[in-house]
Amino acid sequence: MKTRHITYFLIGVISLQAFTACKKSFLETQPDGVILESNYYQNPTQALSGLTAAYNPVGWEVGSTDNTYIPRLGPLNSAADECYAGGGSSTDMNGWQAWETYTLTAAVGPQAGFWDRNYTGIYRSNLMLSKLGNVTGLDAATLARYTAEAKFLRAYYYFDLVRLFKNVPLFTAPVPTDQIFNVPQAKPEDVYAQIEADLKAAIPNLPATVAVSEYGRATKGAGNALLGKVILYENNTSRMQEAAGYFELVNSSPNYHLLDKFPDIFSPDNKFNAESVFEIVHTASQNAGWGTWPNFLANIYTQMIGPRTYTGPTYWAGGWSFNPIRADFAQAMKSDPRYQYTIANVDSIVNAAPGRSYIKGYNNTGYFIQKFAPLAKYVSTTGQAELNFPNDYIEIRLADTYLMEAEALVRGGGDQAKAQGYLDKVRARVGLPSVPVTLDNIYNERKFELATEGHRWFDLVRTGKAPTVLGARGFQAGTHEILPIPLVELNNTKLKQNPNYK
Amino acid sequence: MPGVTISVKGGKALAVTNEAGVFRLKVPSAGTVLVFSSIGAETTEFTVTNNTPITISLGEKNTALEDVVVIGYGTQKKSLVTGAISTVKSSDLDNMATSRVEQSLQGRTSGITIASSSGAPGAASTLRIRGTTSINNSDPLYMLDGVPVDVGGLDLINQADIESIEVLKDASASIYGAKAASGVILITTKKGKAGKFQFNYNGYWGTQAPARKLQLLDATQYATLRNESALAANPGNPLPFANPQALGKGTDWQSALFNNSAKIQDHEISFSAGTDKSSYYGSFGFFDQQGIVTTAISNYKRFTARMNSSNKIKDWLTIGENVTYSYIRSQGGLNTNSELGGPLSSAINLDPITPLVVTDPALLAQAPYNSPTIAPYLERDANGNPYGISQLVGVEMTNPLAYTKTQLGNYGWSHNMVGNAYIEVEPIKGLKLKSSIGAKLAFYGNTSFTPMAYLSATQSNLTSTSFYKAFSQGLTWIWDNTASYTRSIDRHNFGILVGTSAQQASGSGLNVTYRGLLVNSFDSASFNYGLPETVTTGTTTTSARPGSGWESQPYTLSSYFGRITYDYDQKYLFTGSLRIDGSSKFGSNNKYGTFPSASAGWVASRERFWPANKVVTSLKVRASYGTTGNEQSLGTFQYVSTIGSGRDYPSGTNINLGNSPNAPANPDLKWEETTTTDFGFDASLYKHFTLGFDYFIKKTTGMLMSIQIPGYVGASGLPIGNVGTLQNKGAEVELGYVNRIGKVNVSFKGNVSYIQNTITNLGTYAYMTAGNFQASAYEIGRTVVGQPIASFYGFKEMGIFQTQAEVNSYVGKGGKMIQPNAKPGDFKYADLDGDGSITSADRTFLGNPTPTWTFGFTANASWKNFDVVLFGQGVAGNKIFQGLRRLDIINANYSTKALGRWTGPGTSNSYPRLIDTDPNGNFTNPSDFYLESGSYLRIKTLQFGYTLPRSITDKAGMQRIRIYISSNNLLTLTKYTGFDPEIGGSSYSIDRGVYPQARSFMVGLNLSL
Repeated sequence: MKTRHITYFLIGVISLQAFTACKKSFLETQPDGVILESNYYQNPTQALSGLTAAYNPVGWEVGSTDNTYIPRLGPLNSAADECYAGGGSSTDMNGWQAWETYTLTAAVGPQAGFWDRNYTGIYRSNLMLSKLGNVTGLDAATLARYTAEAKFLRAYYYFDLVRLFKNVPLFTAPVPTDQIFNVPQAKPEDVYAQIEADLKAAIPNLPATVAVSEYGRATKGAGNALLGKVILYENNTSRMQEAAGYFELVNSSPNYHLLDKFPDIFSPDNKFNAESVFEIVHTASQNAGWGTWPNFLANIYTQMIGPRTYTGPTYWAGGWSFNPIRADFAQAMKSDPRYQYTIANVDSIVNAAPGRSYIKGYNNTGYFIQKFAPLAKYVSTTGQAELNFPNDYIEIRLADTYLMEAEALVRGGGDQAKAQGYLDKVRARVGLPSVPVTLDNIYNERKFELATEGHRWFDLVRTGKAPTVLGARGFQAGTHEILPIPLVELNNTKLKQNPNYK
Repeated sequence: MPGVTISVKGGKALAVTNEAGVFRLKVPSAGTVLVFSSIGAETTEFTVTNNTPITISLGEKNTALEDVVVIGYGTQKKSLVTGAISTVKSSDLDNMATSRVEQSLQGRTSGITIASSSGAPGAASTLRIRGTTSINNSDPLYMLDGVPVDVGGLDLINQADIESIEVLKDASASIYGAKAASGVILITTKKGKAGKFQFNYNGYWGTQAPARKLQLLDATQYATLRNESALAANPGNPLPFANPQALGKGTDWQSALFNNSAKIQDHEISFSAGTDKSSYYGSFGFFDQQGIVTTAISNYKRFTARMNSSNKIKDWLTIGENVTYSYIRSQGGLNTNSELGGPLSSAINLDPITPLVVTDPALLAQAPYNSPTIAPYLERDANGNPYGISQLVGVEMTNPLAYTKTQLGNYGWSHNMVGNAYIEVEPIKGLKLKSSIGAKLAFYGNTSFTPMAYLSATQSNLTSTSFYKAFSQGLTWIWDNTASYTRSIDRHNFGILVGTSAQQASGSGLNVTYRGLLVNSFDSASFNYGLPETVTTGTTTTSARPGSGWESQPYTLSSYFGRITYDYDQKYLFTGSLRIDGSSKFGSNNKYGTFPSASAGWVASRERFWPANKVVTSLKVRASYGTTGNEQSLGTFQYVSTIGSGRDYPSGTNINLGNSPNAPANPDLKWEETTTTDFGFDASLYKHFTLGFDYFIKKTTGMLMSIQIPGYVGASGLPIGNVGTLQNKGAEVELGYVNRIGKVNVSFKGNVSYIQNTITNLGTYAYMTAGNFQASAYEIGRTVVGQPIASFYGFKEMGIFQTQAEVNSYVGKGGKMIQPNAKPGDFKYADLDGDGSITSADRTFLGNPTPTWTFGFTANASWKNFDVVLFGQGVAGNKIFQGLRRLDIINANYSTKALGRWTGPGTSNSYPRLIDTDPNGNFTNPSDFYLESGSYLRIKTLQFGYTLPRSITDKAGMQRIRIYISSNNLLTLTKYTGFDPEIGGSSYSIDRGVYPQARSFMVGLNLSL
């Protein structure tokens, strides 16, 4: 065979081999319909979607590591003196039952839901803060606003963590992969300092009011109210005046005023009303089915607190009977004008006419939460009924800031007349006469004004009243002011469990 | 010797020696070269010079050593192979009536455990080479003539086209690098040979029936037991069935299910011819199998065509191609191993009181048969009588005949084309340059129609019909370039191979559903009917023609490989290989993996000092060590952080879309790696025996597992890392025997494999759940360090409490009763953690779902024109979890085992009392009550054949005609009481009502022209 042929063929084959093998880009493939993190956050729309994801955990109703129901109100209402945990049996929502009876352990309790929700929010806020600077096409004002919102959210999440767990890790940037297991717990003072710094930086750049389509986004009022609340919770008498100052910015703002009718506050027909300072938004328009789990946008808690297998007017038939109101609390509130808008007396409804019934759940008292109750008129016709209730949860409302300012003024020795005025306004709204503005009266007013809104347990703990009020339930001072750190968080990490928890 | 064929060289046969070995023939002329040939003997030539009688001796051909074995990217003489490679030849596969290539391999060689996922026609099998290699993907790499075929598409291969299958079990697979950790199966198809035109026809027709039915209760027994169980739970209530005796036998649901004469047939035509310059081979095949369960919706048809040719255009230039096309159409609209409804599970759970078909007017006058809204949608038999609907057993259970009617017509289909084309150049002697492009192109899909029908209160569709069609395609191409050089210098023989390979795979699909067509059968449904955009039922409005699509993520593989083979005088052997694979799935820090291997052998019997003896006529000792990768376990883009959606939040009345990263990135992510060490020997003994032995240790490291990261990281997803490790250790023996005893040729092949699988590291996971049982809160299997993968896990029952005294005396520390709420007739559970009560901590490992022993044997015998083949295979050492009865259905039927239940002291120590509420958890607790031994020995094939004498075939102008009768699955020896002890697939060794394998009888014909 001719040498020429050999050479040509050898060259041909070698170049063939070189062609296939040496193209490194052959292995660098681009994902189809999947976006890489390194390619995202490039334009204002993507930046907004990232910010939305940072808001998303405030509305979480299901999910977390246990993939279960995690509404904030459920466990908080179980732990205080307004409600039982309830449900179908003593082991239904076991974590809530454990908090109600103060038999919490690292493995059993509601801690995972709170921990995961808040830390996911913190991560997404930190991520936005690291990415916002590099978004092209974002004008300075919007950049400032988004930054402020991310800081507000981070402060909101850390506030929840520090008052529920006290000893939590603190970071202001996403945790680098090689540091994941090395993170220590921070001192609570440092966390509070970070919260305050974030809010103080955010407030100037948050809008005073937002457009209708943006209702629910953080506003200046929300920032001021939260900052005041944070300082109030720090229980430093010398700073009470400072707290009162922030509350005053909200309470004197023309953007807010108390609603005339108490029940209007909670109606889904009145979303974003004048009393709402910071509102957690839920929606019925998702038309969710069970397959949407866990990304529900509706209020699932509403479904959970309805009477179980109920036949009768007004309420949805398929509730799960969680958080029934304790009989003694109902008794105490009976004479209060807010009673019928706070407590649903399902027993009396059912006994009023034949053909009505409901199944008595665990620890049933016949009294159910009214403020967020699943009303028949809001039952979805297009999606799965349980998963599409529209009720929002107003986390901070004007009556609350009135009472907090009154408290701050009294504790800080500030303007007592102003404090009296705010206490009176809250009472007058429901036709109650004035009472002297003492701390006891303020706390009593909070108990009835804000009943079942998830503030009672925090109030009892921060005022030191928890051991007295909840002692009979098993509350031990020095242990139960905070929740245990979730058990899985201690695996291979540097975290230490909170005192006296196993 | 008899049976020796004498032919003129290059011409046809002239004569055959008779029993005495004598032949007589008329030779054309002096100088003719006569060729004497016989199976098992050396072919000898003799030139005729004169007319004197001649005596010819034929030497024994030691075919075993002359065989050529396909190794990766080439072939090697079997005597020189240093790796653990098992071969199955087409002669083993001929006429074996298997429909899938995995079934062909079952029991044929050592080291492979195969379990069919069910007996449904076309059902895939789970194939494991030397144990389960990974907790993720353990499927071997299948190469069909150098083109990779995915496990899902394996049924496109027609067994009749297979020339040989080589299984690379140890470091010999390293040449395939990153995809070879679970072993490599090389399938080589038949090619043309030089010689005159050959035409063959092979076919068989047969009938199949279920080999075994379950023993379930009849109506009277059922009612009696139900009464007992209900009474135990609610003593005050009236009995559910007032008069069990009057119910008689009731309905035998299994008889409605099974077809005792399901047809099976297979036909294949092949032809080939060639000169020493070019040859070709073509074949057509048709296979048709009806299922034994609800045949109308369980059947399988396959049509294959293949063509290959090889052309030596010049002395130094060869081109060739190899193309297969197959079309498969199958119907399988039923659950093949699930407790959640479908004909099998329904037949097991439905009460025998419900009639199969309702003809009794009294019953017809009751609900639901008389309901005007439901009656039009009841499924009816040919006489218009509705099929019986159980009022006792609901949820997913439906009348199997009615269910079958709702699935009629639904089918799946696929067109597959696999092939390659190559050009090979030999510029100088010994140097071969080859470039080969191969591809697999598949078009597949399915069409189904859901009618409006009422099968039961919970299984009904009364809203609208829907007609669904899915259409998908997939393409994989592979381009190999190799250069190989072989040379012999004195007694040194060496060969070098270097090559590169590139691969890419992609796919996409579309589907559409038409809702609300005004027809009620599959045949009437059509996409030609116009439909509006939306359809409204009640207050819900949805799209009338929803559709969706998918696209696969891009996937590429780029490789370099090289191999050196060396032997000195065919005595000292060495093979070394190296492969470097780059995959698009690997993280950016580990884009390329390196997979080396080395193996050596010593043919001791070729040594001069080897004493000539009659015992060990040849002995080769070998050892190998190599590394392979399991790239298949990785998904695409698992190493980067991707953006997820669905993190929305409403504001005002809008819903704002929210996006954020999923799991954190892991740029170090790479393949799982398996290192195999193998020692073995191959020997020929006593002239007639061959013996092969292997001992191996396979260690898998870097198994992909989610890494548990703390919640304070705030991630939405867990990153994947290379964390876990496991180990497989075992031994294999292959024994062969060929002899001629008197006038009978016999041969025997047997293999036995033992494997021990142990998990050695699971990272931060204490355990992983493996296997669930209905709605039980307890899992039934766990993967845990120190145990085999997916070991069965549950409570240990220690018999039954016969009296209350026994309950009272079962105490723990402090004298407290361990099972205070138990009653006589309940299980006594072992308190394994000694804490004085039975809790979830009292569970332990109860058995291995994967067999530890796998064996098979083939025995052939032939005498004159008769031949017989007996092939059997089996496994041992595994347990099967039998969870057939639905515990959440109070009125579900029982197996006859329940007749031996506890009814009083001393009546039973193994089957507890029946009580509806089951407070002691006798049935709801997973325990060894549910486990049975899964060992079995199955006579897989028994075949008797008769080859017509030459005198007859010559008159017909044919070369060979053989007829045979054959039986598949003739006999299964097992203690297992369920349908079938062979349960593979995703519910491995967990019987939820598995579609059993059929026993078949066939008549077949082999024709050669």
